[in-house]
Amino acid sequence: MKAIGLIIVVLAGALLLYSTQDFPFWGDPASPAGTHTATYYLTKAFEETSVPNVVTAVLADYRGFDTMFETGVIFCAGLGCFVLLRLSRSRDEDSYYRHVATGITLHIKSAKIPDVSSEFERIDTLWTPYDLIVKTVCRLLAPFVQLFGLYVIAHGHHSPGGGFQGGVILGASVILIAISHNMRTAIGRISEKTIHILMAVGVLLYSGIGALCILLGGNFLDYASLSRILFTNEIEARSLGILGVEVGVGITVMAVMITIYNNLSSDGRLDEGL
Amino acid sequence: MDIIVVFLIICGLVFFTGGAVGILRFPDFYTRLHPAGKMDTLGSFLMVLAVSLFNLREFSWAAVLTSLKILLIVLFIFILNPTATHAIVDAGFRAGMRPWTKKDKGK
Repeated sequence: MKAIGLIIVVLAGALLLYSTQDFPFWGDPASPAGTHTATYYLTKAFEETSVPNVVTAVLADYRGFDTMFETGVIFCAGLGCFVLLRLSRSRDEDSYYRHVATGITLHIKSAKIPDVSSEFERIDTLWTPYDLIVKTVCRLLAPFVQLFGLYVIAHGHHSPGGGFQGGVILGASVILIAISHNMRTAIGRISEKTIHILMAVGVLLYSGIGALCILLGGNFLDYASLSRILFTNEIEARSLGILGVEVGVGITVMAVMITIYNNLSSDGRLDEGL
Repeated sequence: MDIIVVFLIICGLVFFTGGAVGILRFPDFYTRLHPAGKMDTLGSFLMVLAVSLFNLREFSWAAVLTSLKILLIVLFIFILNPTATHAIVDAGFRAGMRPWTKKDKGK
């Protein structure tokens, strides 16, 4: 079975390498991209969308359809992680609790005491006693990390950044809490249900903006038609449309990062890990 | 102004060089983390301070704002670098790594 897989991989790789011969050379001024689209984007992007960062304008406006499905790929990655690890997991795991008043440790099989209880304290089996300094610094720093993530999303118009990068930073801030405290604390802050809803909301926001453009009489993802409900001219509407889809991308990427981390590090149990 | 900037950068480089030599020369894991944590923090403080001063050569309020943002990096490095070093040392200690003593000399 492994041999068949290896043969397929090698063949596909060889085909891909062979097909690269047909590509234009790196930076070739006579290549199709260099003669038509690149010059068009570089000269027209700012006056058509009022976005100084051409990369953002190309990704989210001219090639918005492509980026929408990239967001869909991220969504599928999160979904795949969830389906493979979380759904196939039997629920009755052993768990340990400490009775706070007496210090007695309880070993409970296939039953659950609520995690938040004044009498019992959950103990991780893979527990490492975490550190006060690391805990405090990470707790104080998480809001700044999130602020920076929001800045990166909102400033995609002017500087390198945008939904994907900002979403990863936002997700990293929650993962930081999960690493420095424990996973249950992080899930207490942002529950599994919320993450899953956010995962879908981001993609829905992106494609919803596209569908809204159709309803307003334009093509799919043609942000210029949004000018009718935003009370601005078409150029400003394109800029705002880009911001809208960036926010959608950011929400999805953040939620997917968190769900991938949670599922992979805890083997799908979502109660303790790393 | 330029003299101050050059002076600060050279000072920062001295600290970075000391840190690099320390990482290479010290005998074990914990002692190597000592220059990595301390020298890099002060070295990057001096370097970033020099950069933010250099940014102020043509004075304007926008430049002041940029310099303040650059100085924010220093603030976060000051908090984070020692914490990261502490976390690594902590992890090493819990994993059972024994500190170097004079008895291990010559190994």
